[in-house]
Amino acid sequence: MSTVARTGESAGKVLSLYRQLLRQGNQFSSYNFREYAKRRTRDAFRENKNVEDPRKVQELVQKGLQNLQMLKRQTVISQFYQQDRLVVEGGLSGKDNEGGKLRQKDTGWD
Amino acid sequence: MFRTAAFTAARVARPAVASAVRVAGVARPAAFAQAVAVPKIAAFQAVRFYSAGGHLNKEEVFSRIAQVLSGFDKVNDPKNITETAHFANDLGLDSLDTVEVVMAIEEEFSIEIPDKDADQIHSVDKAVEYILSQPDAN
Repeated sequence: MSTVARTGESAGKVLSLYRQLLRQGNQFSSYNFREYAKRRTRDAFRENKNVEDPRKVQELVQKGLQNLQMLKRQTVISQFYQQDRLVVEGGLSGKDNEGGKLRQKDTGWD
Repeated sequence: MFRTAAFTAARVARPAVASAVRVAGVARPAAFAQAVAVPKIAAFQAVRFYSAGGHLNKEEVFSRIAQVLSGFDKVNDPKNITETAHFANDLGLDSLDTVEVVMAIEEEFSIEIPDKDADQIHSVDKAVEYILSQPDAN
């Protein structure tokens, strides 16, 4: 990413795309799709963080934008078919370290 | 004597309370007038308003941000999380990690930080400052 940042104008744009993709991926109602979308976004950006060639960067940004469009469509569709939350989604969340808060997420789909 | 004193006191109080005291005073012996008036005021004070401001103070915001950061496995050393730590220089995070940290902070305080503000948050003190400036943060 640092190298992409050095190539100039696209740095802010790339970060903004990254943020948008993560936000949009978080909208999936299905746990599996949601986690996959976020993981895939992270992996893809890390994988290409050392890309120097401006043309290649532009190509990847275009691909990201296309995927963002696809995520927007699919998250809407995913929300038509909501299912109960999985057991792995509910339960305790957060770290249980010394003095740390252990929080209970509400289980079940409201 | 006591009755007169109660009426004088009631007259300087708010009209609503005063009339309540007067009604009670007519119906019952004067000693009860005081007893009726006091729980009324206490009940009024027990009401909590939903418009009341939040209670986020600086220490709490910092400790919650520090907790978010300590749960983030890319932070180089949990000891480096201080009130003035810079995400890139002190905690060893790159710009992608910074985006993720800012999003985790959004989730922690249940707000949404617009892009142009999120780009400005590069250190713990900036984040604390931003959260404190948001009335919606909780």
